[in-house]
Parts: sequence; structure tokens; C-alpha cells
Amino acid sequence: MSTLKNFNLRDFGAGIWAQWNRGTRTIFVLVLLSLVALLPFAAGWGPTSFLNTPITSFQNVLVYPVGMFVLMALGLNIVVGKSGLLDLGYVAFFAIGAYSQGVLSTFYGWNTWEVLPVGIGCAMLSGVLLGLPALRLRGDYLAIITLGFGEIVRIVALNLNVTGGPSGIAGIPNPPGFFGLKFDIMNPQNFFWVVLALILLTIWMVRRFTVRRPGRAWEAIRQDEDVAALMGVNTLVYKLWSFVIGAAVGGAAGVIFASKVMVISPDMFKFDVSILILACVVFGGIGNIWGVALGASILAYLPERIRFLADSRQLVFGLVLVLMMNLRPDGLLPRKKREKITEKGAK
Amino acid sequence: MNFSVLTSQFWSLAFQGLALGLIYSLVSLGYTMVYGVLRLINFANSEVFMVGTFSVLYLQVYILRIPIGDPALHGIKLIAYLALSLIGSMIVCALLAIVVELVAYRRLRARGANRLASLISAIGVSIALLEGFSMITGARGKIAPRLLDKWSFGEVAGANFRIDQVMAIVMPIIIFFLLDQFVTKSRLGKSIRAVSMSEENSKLMGIDINRVITLTFCIGGLTTGAAAFLYTTVYENTVFNVGFNMGIAAFTAAVLGGIGNLRGAFYGGLALGMLEQFASAVLGSQWKSITVFVVLVVILLVKPNGLFGEAVQQTRT
Amino acid sequence: MNKKIISGFAIAAAATLALGAVATAPANAATKTVKLAYQGPLTGGAAALGQDQIPGAIWAIDQYNRTNPAVKIELVKADAQCDGTVAANIAPGVAADKAIIGVIGTACSGEARNSFPAYKAAGLTMVAPSASAVDLTDRKSKANGFPIFHRVVANDSFQGPALARYAASGVASPKYYLVDDQSPYGAPLIKVDVTPTAKKNGTIVGTDSVAQKTADWSSVVAKIKASGANIVIFGGYDYDAGPFVKALRAGGYTGIFGGGDGINTSDFVKLAGGKTIAEGVRMTAASVPLATLLKPDQLADFTKVTGVKVPGLYAETAWTAANVFIQCIKAGKLTRPAIQVCVNSGSFTAADGSKFKFDRYGDPTTAAAVGGWVVKDGEIIYDKVA
Repeated sequence: MSTLKNFNLRDFGAGIWAQWNRGTRTIFVLVLLSLVALLPFAAGWGPTSFLNTPITSFQNVLVYPVGMFVLMALGLNIVVGKSGLLDLGYVAFFAIGAYSQGVLSTFYGWNTWEVLPVGIGCAMLSGVLLGLPALRLRGDYLAIITLGFGEIVRIVALNLNVTGGPSGIAGIPNPPGFFGLKFDIMNPQNFFWVVLALILLTIWMVRRFTVRRPGRAWEAIRQDEDVAALMGVNTLVYKLWSFVIGAAVGGAAGVIFASKVMVISPDMFKFDVSILILACVVFGGIGNIWGVALGASILAYLPERIRFLADSRQLVFGLVLVLMMNLRPDGLLPRKKREKITEKGAK
Repeated sequence: MNFSVLTSQFWSLAFQGLALGLIYSLVSLGYTMVYGVLRLINFANSEVFMVGTFSVLYLQVYILRIPIGDPALHGIKLIAYLALSLIGSMIVCALLAIVVELVAYRRLRARGANRLASLISAIGVSIALLEGFSMITGARGKIAPRLLDKWSFGEVAGANFRIDQVMAIVMPIIIFFLLDQFVTKSRLGKSIRAVSMSEENSKLMGIDINRVITLTFCIGGLTTGAAAFLYTTVYENTVFNVGFNMGIAAFTAAVLGGIGNLRGAFYGGLALGMLEQFASAVLGSQWKSITVFVVLVVILLVKPNGLFGEAVQQTRT
Repeated sequence: MNKKIISGFAIAAAATLALGAVATAPANAATKTVKLAYQGPLTGGAAALGQDQIPGAIWAIDQYNRTNPAVKIELVKADAQCDGTVAANIAPGVAADKAIIGVIGTACSGEARNSFPAYKAAGLTMVAPSASAVDLTDRKSKANGFPIFHRVVANDSFQGPALARYAASGVASPKYYLVDDQSPYGAPLIKVDVTPTAKKNGTIVGTDSVAQKTADWSSVVAKIKASGANIVIFGGYDYDAGPFVKALRAGGYTGIFGGGDGINTSDFVKLAGGKTIAEGVRMTAASVPLATLLKPDQLADFTKVTGVKVPGLYAETAWTAANVFIQCIKAGKLTRPAIQVCVNSGSFTAADGSKFKFDRYGDPTTAAAVGGWVVKDGEIIYDKVA
């Protein structure tokens, strides 16, 4: 029993990984990647057709919610998992990205790839504006402020003319194609690949940060903010960084989302989305990118897959959350054990 | 901007803000009590409130057999039925709150899990209750029978002192007074305060932590149940997602007053109720939540622990 | 480890092969059954709207299936809950089902906008029984549904003014207070369509926008009382209008309360807390009650098929919308492009027996009349053409 309790799948995987040489690792990663990239065709192929979702289209579900949720969960993980800040309004950055795309493309005719940096910039800027006052507060006060912010963004979008009020913005163009890939409603798999690329980029970015100075500062803040400050870490600046980087990922997801669905309206950016994404992070394993990606895929996919349960599917979803958290409080793939961090520090 | 409404309707708005605010503060006790002891956002409390409103409704319709649309009751029967509804709702909510603690928190706490794990587990309970009730009660709103004839004590300066709203003001004040006495005077109340100051030390002093935590959830459930009774009596309807707005408002009220602090919850709820009424009257209802948010940020920047703050030893999480 | 990698490659290779196979697989040959989808809210907060109208479509299809066994029609329920996000995922799924050749819907305007991209790409024709926002068929609007969207209901540019007029009928000096629910349905109805007529007809003494599912209306009531309004018009759904009327009456407001088709549901009186409170509330809807068009034996048949005693609001337009497709299917149009051509150019019979066609942007050429209704003794009574 005790061995089972202490069993950490993530450490187990890391152990195997450590035994491999560079070549084996490269091959493993490439195979895994190509398998994931082939997912949009899984529903059409006999042995994997059980993955198909009833009523909703599988390839679209892969882009939103699955792909988008993985991307956003990875972004939120920087805030919640790495530096330990509870953000209950992450949907705000998603909305800001989406509305940047909506406004800039319909009013000024910018295409998605031009809007992408601007949308990310807008999300980061709003992250700074919110973070500067909010990050001075501790723990759960931050939670309520971010929760409020998420609602505010939605309410403002609901009441402004430039955002189209409750009807939202329609007629958002699809992104222009490249490399012969066309982005339109008939080719959702191309969107999936773009989202996949963004996910990989985010994973790469997070991994770089984690082993460098910001990552160590976040870890220190997460474990004890007072001690971190005492040791000379500028906690506000590093907290702000994690907040803003998280916002950037949310903004990027929003831009792509808007150009995929072509019509956005305020009711797509409700509080539920923030909660769901937070649930993805915790469900998968706070702080561990592989866990978060897995958790987000499952939580985003599950409600669509069990659509045949009709009304009771959300009930089942809630029960799964409770059950899983009770069985695996650290998530499906928990982060490294504390001891590992001290070991590393001792080197 | 519409300031003219202030001149003619000021007292009416203030009075109704008071009634609404005190319902908020009763629900916010469910958050603040639990937060004081466990340092956790009791996310499922909004659903405890929802179940409370339905328990009042079903008690009146199916057990007391009062058909909807019947004339209001009078005399002893009225008081007895109101009291039964109140007690029923409080018992249901308290039991549910205790069950929520057992299902969502206890096991996780015993394993020393991350606070966020408990939060997600509570969110899971919340979703399950929400969807379960939407299946049982249907997605459409339900109407509660009118027990209480809404006669008025009279109008003073434009404010109409309606019996149900007066009740929504008087009852919370009594409950807060009793609760305050209980927490400061009684032995059990003192043990709650001890645990909220230091769990470790309380253990050393021989306090049964689990019992105190159950008690805390029970008290939060009782007050939330009372709020559910008042809500159903005043608004005479409920729907499966009634808890969402109420939960956000009550949690905001708790933070506004200083989460973890009893009196903070009282005044936070009051302040929020007033603020909402005046903001929607002057600025328009669509800007209500934004005003609340801005005021909240400003207050937290000036007083980082809310209007009434927490004791110094409690600020560290 | 190597075994794992090899098997991984095998799966990848197999997947690639299968992919090719799927891509070249021939589409299913025409079957004896075609499908129509009904898209609207069947669960969620706006469920009453869909639950009221879907029996009209069910009955129309049942009537047809009993007579023409050659090509049967099957109705697929696509529950989009009046929610744009849900619709954005439902629509591609419906479009991907090649057997579905037409969509009866959408019920709400918001979900229509989010469904257009998928249906346009798939060339899937829509005939809506109740999505009445003006921009859906506005040729200047980016949100329009050209060329796949059609509706058998008068749009809000008819309903809005009619509502403003009907609510004020018999009032000497109308003083309007306009409230919307910030929904894609209520806000444009009030802000774009009711406001101009109200201005012309009288004065607007105040406006407010209240979030959906608000419990406490007291501040709105206080404002209305302070403004001295004698007509309150609410753009929104029944579940908000009920508590709103109740709060107004409890607050001592004695003037007229009016609302659009969103509050014209069988649930409204109950939601308002009984017949004394709801008495005299005026409503409009761009539909006439199906029951008034049917002979007793037809009504009995309707009840037998659908289990609904009295057809609800928009059952009539849902019947008409279903019949647009049925008339095309009868003419042997069994593919999406053929249906589209047929609906765009054909002439159809409405539930009241009148003939109509669709104009280029999908509005019916003979705009259906907007009816005025009033609550009398707990029943919503059809009053007159508004």
C-alpha cells in the first residue's frame, strides 16, 4: 500500500527517460508528436474510431475545446503551478485575445498572423495593468480580484459598441493559408496543427524558464514568499512576469479561437471557462506540464464524448472531478517530489 | 448617469439595499467561517444555498401542501409554517454542508493535499449538485407559494417598509448577534477561534480538530439555510443556478469585510448590498458589477485585509 | 524499448494508410431516409422556447411520413441551448452528417450567427421558425446568413415597432421605460427596433440593461417609479420577465408591462407569480397560434403525435419551416445543393394556407403579421394584429 501511495508516475517516467540516450529520446519524441499530429484522423480510422464524438464534430472538438484548453491550461500553469498564484479569471486574457482578433480584422482588415503579436501584446498589457495592483495582495484576495476581472472583461464587451454588444462580432476572417495549408471551416485539422505548434512553443518556453533564473524565483515564491523576498528575490517583478507570460499564452489562444469560430460573443467567455481551465491544471497535476496537458485533454474531451448521456453528462463530469481529486490529490501526473528539488539544490 | 433617482428614491434604495445586503452577509458566513478555520474557499457553499431555496420550496409545496396561487396565510398557522420552513431549510443546509465537507475536503485534508486540490474537489461537488438539481427540478425556474402577505408597515420618506424585507433585515441581525456571542463566549466557539489561530497548537491543547471543522461547516450551513429561507420568502422563486450570482456576491462581501472575520462578513454584506443598489440606480444595472469590482480593488489596496481585516497572526497563509 | 518504438511506427504507418482509405471512401449512396435537424434550445434556461416549437416540426414530419413512405424524413434534435458557444461546436457536427439535408432552425438569433460559418461551408440550408434579429438577413451586415439562411417569421424590425405601438394602445401620453436583458435577442430588439417607434409615439423616460437571471429588481423598480413611466417594455425571456413584473407590482407600479415573443410562453403567468400579477401584461409575437388555424380533428391528431395539448408559441412557424423542406423533398430534391436551390426559388404554403417565397436574403416576401396578445385571467389571449 505504501509503495502504491508513494508511486509517482511522473518520477517513474522521468527515470526511464533518464536512461535513454539522445537518439532514443529524439525518436520517441518524434513518434509521439506524429501520433498526436495524426489525431484529427483518429475518428475516421477503424481501431481508433471509438474516439469519435457524438453530434459534435470530432475534428472541431480537437481544436476547441481540447487543443485550446491544453494551450490555456499550460498558460495558467505558469501562474498557478509555477509561482503558486490563484487566478480565477484566466478567461479574461482569452477574451482579450479573441476580441483583438475580432476588432482588428473586421475594422482594419488585419489578418490573423498580423493580429497574433498584437493580441498577445494586448493580453500582456492587461496582465500588467491587473497584476500591478492585484499581485500586491496575498493568496485568496488575488483569487477574488482575478475572478472579478474575468467578469469585468465580459461585461465591458457586453456593453461597448466596438465589441458588438451582446451579439458580439461576426464575419471574422479565417487566417490566410501557408505551405499549401488552407484554414477554413472544412479543414479543422490545420487549425489543430497550428494550436499544436503553439502548445509545443509554450512547452519549450516554460521548460526554458523553469531551469533559469525566473523558474527558480517562481519556485521560491511558491514555497514561501516571505523567505523568497528575504533572500533578495524581487517577488512582485517575478510574480508579474509569470502573470504576464500566462496572459500572453491566453491571448494567443484567443486570437486563434476567434479566427477559427469566425463569430465571437461575450457569452463564450464566462466564468465557467476559467474554472474549467483551473480544473484542467489541478486535475492533471499542478506544475507538471505533461500532467497539465493530459488533464486538459481529458477534461475538455470527456464532456463531448459522453454527450450521449445528454443531461446527465455534466453531473458525471462533476463526480469524476471529486473522485479523481480524492484518489489522486496531486493530479494524474504529479510534479516532482519536494525532495528532488532539495537534491538538485545540493548539487 | 441618473442622479435624480437619488433624490426621490434614496431611502427606498437604501432600505432595499439593506435587506439584500443582509441576505448576502448570511451566505458569506458560509465562506468566511470555513475560511477562518481551513484557509479554503468553500466553493460549494453557493450550491448549499441553492439546495436550501429548493428545500424551502418543496417543504411548502409537498409537505405543508400549500398550493401555488393560494391566498396568503394568517395568524398562528402563518408563523408556524414560516418557522417550519426556516428550520427545515437550516437543517437541510447544515447537513449538506457537513456532507460536502466529508466528501470534498476531509480525505484530502487528512492526506495533507494541496489547497487547490480541495478547491477543485469542491468545484466538482458544486457542478454535481448544480447539474443534479437541474435534472430534478427542470431547467426552468420554480415558483414558491406566497405564505406571507406582503403588507407594509407604511411608507417613510419614500421607503416602503414591507414585512418580508423588514424580516430580511431583522433576522440576520439576530443571527449575527447570537453567533457573535457563541463564538466569543462558549467553549465550542472558543475552540473554533483557537483552531483558526493555530491548528497545531489547538491540537496540542486537546481540541478535536475534526469536530471543530464539522461544527464550522454546520454553522456556515445553518446561516446559509436561513439566507435561503429569506431569499425564497422575499423573491418567491428559485432556479437551479440561483447559487452562482449569490455565491459570487457573498464571497465578494466576505472579502470586502475581511475574509475569516465574522463582523467583516456582516458589514461587507451590508456594504455590497447598498453599493449594488445605488450603482445600478445611478449608473445603470449593466455597470453594477464593475462598480463593485473597482470599489473592491481600491479598498483592498488601501486596506489589504479588507475593511475589518484579520488578526495579525491570521494574515499568513 | 525498441519494441515499443517499432510498434509505435507501425501504428503511425497504419494510421496513415487508414487515413488514405477514409479519404477515398465513397460517400454513402442515396438512402430511403433523409434527415432534417432541428436546432434550438431543448435544455437550459431558454428551453421553453424550443420545447414550445419543436412539436410543430415533429407533427409536420409525422404527417408527411404517414403519406409518403418512399423517402422518409427523420428529425435530428441538435440541442444548442440558445448558446453561441454550444452552437459553434454543434453546427460543424450537424454539417458533417451527410444524411442531414436541411436545418429547421435556429430558434435563437445568437446561435444562428455562430452556426452560419459551418452551414455556409457545407451548403446546408436553414429555415428558422423564430430567429428574428434583423442583421441575420441584412445584406449590409457581416453576420448575415446569405445564401443559406431563411426564416418564416417577421424580423424584429417588424416586431419592435409593433411592440412599441401595441403596448401603448389606449394610452393617451405614453411614457416608455425600456429595459433589456443584455442578450443577443433582447438588447437589439429594444435598442434598435423598439426605441425609434417609442420616440415617435411618445417619450422615453429611461432605459436600463439588466443581466439575465437577476434576482433583485428593486433598483430598477425604484428608477421606473422615479421616472414616472406608464409603459415598461422588456426585451428578454420569460424567466426574467416574471420576477420583473412581480417586483414592479410589489413596488406599486400600476402602468402597462409589455414584452416581445421571448416572454410569450406558456410558463410566463406561472413565473410572474399568478394571474393577478400577470393580468394585463401585453406581448407580441410574429406568429399566430397554431390552434386557431387547425380543425378540431387536426388538433386531436397533433396532440396524439406530439403529446402536447395546446400548441405553444411558434409551433405554427416551426410547422411552416418543416413544410418548406417537406415540399422540396416531395419534389424529389434530396441533396443539399438541390434543397438550397429549391428553397431559394420555390413557392411554399404556410400553416394558414397562404403562399409565400423567400427574398434574396432569406426573409419571407409576404411579411407575416405580428400578433398582439394580452394576459387575461391567467391565460395568454390572442388580441389583435399589433
